[in-house]
Amino acid sequence: MTTIPHLVLDQVTYRYEPEAPPAVNQVSLTVPRGQFAAVLGHNGSGKSTLAKMLNGLFLPTEGSVLVSGMDTREEKHTWDIRQAAGMVFQNPDNQLVATRVYDDVAFGLENIGVPTQEMPPRIDEALRLTGMSEFADRPPHLLSGGQKQRVAIAGILAMQPEALILDEATAMLDPQGRKEVFDTVARLNREQGITVVWITHFMEEAAKAQRVLVMNHGGIEMDGTPREIFSRVEEIRDLRLDVPPMTKLAHMLNARGVPAAPDVLTVEEMAREVKRLCPSCWKN
Amino acid sequence: MPIVLEKLSHIYQQGASTTTALKDIDLTIGDEDLLALIGHTGSGKSTLAQHLNGLIKPTSGRVLLDGRDINAPGEDSRKLRFRVGLVFQYPEHQLFEETVYKDIAFGPKNMGLSEVEIDQRVRGAMDTVGLPFEEIKDRSPFEVSGGQMRRIALAGVLAMRPQVLVLDEPTAGLDPRARDLLLSDIQRLHQEGTTVVMISHAMDDVARLATRIAVLEKGALAMVGTPGEVFSRYEELTAMGLDVPQGCQLTRLLREMGGPAMADCYLLESLADSLTQQIKGGDGGAA
Repeated sequence: MTTIPHLVLDQVTYRYEPEAPPAVNQVSLTVPRGQFAAVLGHNGSGKSTLAKMLNGLFLPTEGSVLVSGMDTREEKHTWDIRQAAGMVFQNPDNQLVATRVYDDVAFGLENIGVPTQEMPPRIDEALRLTGMSEFADRPPHLLSGGQKQRVAIAGILAMQPEALILDEATAMLDPQGRKEVFDTVARLNREQGITVVWITHFMEEAAKAQRVLVMNHGGIEMDGTPREIFSRVEEIRDLRLDVPPMTKLAHMLNARGVPAAPDVLTVEEMAREVKRLCPSCWKN
Repeated sequence: MPIVLEKLSHIYQQGASTTTALKDIDLTIGDEDLLALIGHTGSGKSTLAQHLNGLIKPTSGRVLLDGRDINAPGEDSRKLRFRVGLVFQYPEHQLFEETVYKDIAFGPKNMGLSEVEIDQRVRGAMDTVGLPFEEIKDRSPFEVSGGQMRRIALAGVLAMRPQVLVLDEPTAGLDPRARDLLLSDIQRLHQEGTTVVMISHAMDDVARLATRIAVLEKGALAMVGTPGEVFSRYEELTAMGLDVPQGCQLTRLLREMGGPAMADCYLLESLADSLTQQIKGGDGGAA
């Protein structure tokens, strides 16, 4: 077990054009191994640019990005880094290439030159971990959006990555697909210890992360647990982001003179809070 | 301008097999409605939406706009269909012109309007959705932000001055700021007299905006009613795999735990009011 922090950004700046304002501006950030970190922020806040630097797809204009201690600017590490930190993108239809789910998962392995005889167990395991085993022989284009994203994730898992970076991977899915994909990734994080960087616009997803990073104008504006972040309702509102509905309700109660805990996140927590605030409202 | 669906059915034919996408739908959408159309993926929502402007024709049954069948043969029906504007899912994928202006002008041009009229309509539509005319009219629609692209696509439909606006998941994939802007545009259009039909998966948005909700399941109309009526049928909705607003989940959980009963659940503001009343009243009683 290595003790090197998993992802380390040191004073990272990225510019798309030499004269353009930086898309990511002087960001320093450490993500420990096994953490589930959600990243929030508007389009244009720098989230996607940051994500693409985490596996060397983009190289920082200034500063350095280390993945398991490997510097993304050193060419000799490029393939190791891509394998160690896999990316899933927004549109499920742009990520699948083969005519059969199984072959799609095999595609990445072929690319990195895994010997043919080693491939089947890795593919089977990846399909099992994403709950897609029974779809192995299906053509990907007939799957639901959530299933397609799980195939994309399986393709990365087969490469045995240490980190998954998901850039709005649920944005185009319906509520069921979103839940499917989120639950799959949360399980991989919990059971396989895979580090997760989860970029999203859905606050209820961020509420389930261990850590929430809020980006604005290329920098990290807020960094903390979901409870810490979402209880800062006014700041979140100034950034024109949302807070989860139950946090909003707690805020409204406080405005009405009811001292509800400001860091309530879920329906269950709010129900307990109501019970605490009003024992006599209960029949038993 | 009410839309009436009469025993509307649609059957897709694929080789030898057939799929019933819509089954005997009877639904009246009133002038004053902002109707939310909800349902699981594959329940027939988009197929229904595309019937409302004649893009898809019913296998049986009729679509009546102001009492007239929009699929009747003849030029009159074509004009009738122009009164219903349909905004597809991810409508920005259908932008194609060189400039924002030309893209928005495309629909009005197709209607055979004069240049002067077209110009007025493009300006009006851009104003309605908050796009700065001088600043972006000559830009490529592909150079602007995702939220702006979505609003350009909406403006292209609005420039045809539809009396009924049908939107298929208008906020999908947008960030919270772009989503709020778009929803307030839609709300304003509704307040100014446009009938709106909106497909959405975002139940908290639906709860806030809709005057009525229609729930589709497996191509049939499962429920129609006010948000209060529909969201009170919690068990049925969750059995269909649909979300309910979190306020309603809380109301239900409180009831299950033997806690206080809430009248309305779907608006956070009114939920906060009645919880405050309960809690303050409860404390007073205990003290």
